[in-house]
Amino acid sequence: MKQITVISGKGGTGKTTLASSFIRLAKEQVAVDCDVDAANLYILLDPYKKVTEKFIGSSKAEVIGNCINCGKCEELCRFDAISDSLTDIKIDKLKCESCGVCEYICPTEAIKLKPEEQGEFYISETAMGPFVHARLNPGAENSGLLVTKIRNIAEDIAYRDNKNLIIIDGAPGIGCAVIASLNGVDYAIIVTEPTLSGISDFKKIFEVTKFFNTKSFVCINKFDINLNNTEELEKFCSENNVEVIGKIPYDEKVPENLSNKKIIVDDMSSEAGKEIKRIWGKLEGYLLT
Amino acid sequence: MIISVASGKGGTGKTTVAVALAKSLNYCQFMDFDVDAPNASLFLKPDIKHVKKVTMKQPYFLTGTGKSFKACADFCHYNAVAYIGEDVVFFSELCHGCGGCILVGPEGAVREKDVEIGEISKGFCSPGINFAMGNLKPGGTRTTAIQNELEKNIEYDNHVIIDCPPGTSCSMVMAVKNSDFCILVTEPTPFGLNDLMISVEVLKDLKIPFGVIVNRFGIGNDEVLDYCKNNNIKILAKIPNDLNIAKYYSKGLTLIDFDPTWKDKFADIISEIEKEVLKK
Repeated sequence: MKQITVISGKGGTGKTTLASSFIRLAKEQVAVDCDVDAANLYILLDPYKKVTEKFIGSSKAEVIGNCINCGKCEELCRFDAISDSLTDIKIDKLKCESCGVCEYICPTEAIKLKPEEQGEFYISETAMGPFVHARLNPGAENSGLLVTKIRNIAEDIAYRDNKNLIIIDGAPGIGCAVIASLNGVDYAIIVTEPTLSGISDFKKIFEVTKFFNTKSFVCINKFDINLNNTEELEKFCSENNVEVIGKIPYDEKVPENLSNKKIIVDDMSSEAGKEIKRIWGKLEGYLLT
Repeated sequence: MIISVASGKGGTGKTTVAVALAKSLNYCQFMDFDVDAPNASLFLKPDIKHVKKVTMKQPYFLTGTGKSFKACADFCHYNAVAYIGEDVVFFSELCHGCGGCILVGPEGAVREKDVEIGEISKGFCSPGINFAMGNLKPGGTRTTAIQNELEKNIEYDNHVIIDCPPGTSCSMVMAVKNSDFCILVTEPTPFGLNDLMISVEVLKDLKIPFGVIVNRFGIGNDEVLDYCKNNNIKILAKIPNDLNIAKYYSKGLTLIDFDPTWKDKFADIISEIEKEVLKK
């Protein structure tokens, strides 16, 4: 079984446009949306939800009584999550990182880590096969944990149904959710754009793929909005031995199709769609080897 | 007054708006809280004067002393310490640096060292913008730790513009939580609408007043406008879809470089926000 993840560093460069097209073009696959706090792939795949389950992330510290205000927890908390009040302590849930040090050190067992529901995940069916996706509660943490969870489910489904490919739509940035969506995949497809921001963020995410030894391909979206920058990206890629697998032109048909909830490769007149088909053709070649 | 600029969906124009706000204020503090992918410096071109490394404590285990580190593996809530056979294995990317393994492990056999996870840079842009940004080192996962360090530099007496990371998870909350007002930038597509609705939920939870700027106005459909109208959400501006704006952006030029009348428009938006904040 092979797994590919579409990532970008910078947001809005076209991850979901590309991932949805690959899902449309691939013959047998399981799809996963790992952008769990701004999940959009479902809008294009039109799934029906078969199973909905609660995601219990990590546990947050809570004061459950008989605090003697000794201050030990406050002193040891490395995340500034505990502050003193007159009679007992206050825990800032946003800052609490669920390490359990306060619970361990409390002499009166006044603090307990309590599991919190941090979102939901869904196992769905689409016209293009199984689809695993999720929704992290607004403001919640542990997106990395949720990503790992839904990827494990996708792997189970792939084994069960004999699918030899998992296509993963990743999150922007370079943090925990992105790293969890790259862990152990065969190929990362990095989508970038020829803007100074695009180049800067591309270089960071490329470092991440190198750090975790993930084989990557680069796709330059809207390559024709700045040909000098596209050239710079290509030069960087050739110096770093990473293949530019495709260059997608700027195409107003992309937002137009998106607005009608249509996948771009289904629009035969779209130049961007044609290039994405070529990219998929090349990728398929690599996936077969 | 602190104004944050956020969006659920990435690439909708947060940095474009944040930079235009700062340029129309002339005198303010600008903070780039998108520490995974900070880009505002490419447009504001600050003269960076100070760079401070951000470090975290990570443990190392004195093996070969005959002591068992099983308690450390049992305690670690992040599974960063594993005990395989008689050997301790440490996964640095999972460690949050809580220090728990030192508390529970054999005395003196678990030590700590400082590990670099990113940096905070501070500088100045003419005529009067104090600039600060965080930058997470690739391979690291401690986004909010860098933001925590950056937060210590907020000049609460100044006008502060905060450029936020995309999404609606903890790193977005860390960036908006101190603000008096949040501008949500979106685009009029189903993706833009979906992510706008989640961002609105976060801001309502945090009780932060907000308004919307619609970018690339002209593409897509009217659903974002209808949603805002039906929910009494104020639309502060519409930035038209124009390939030339994208071309300017690609070179590190701002919306105000493209069309100087945006400077006054953003100044008006700021006074409007100020009035609303003062009312509360």
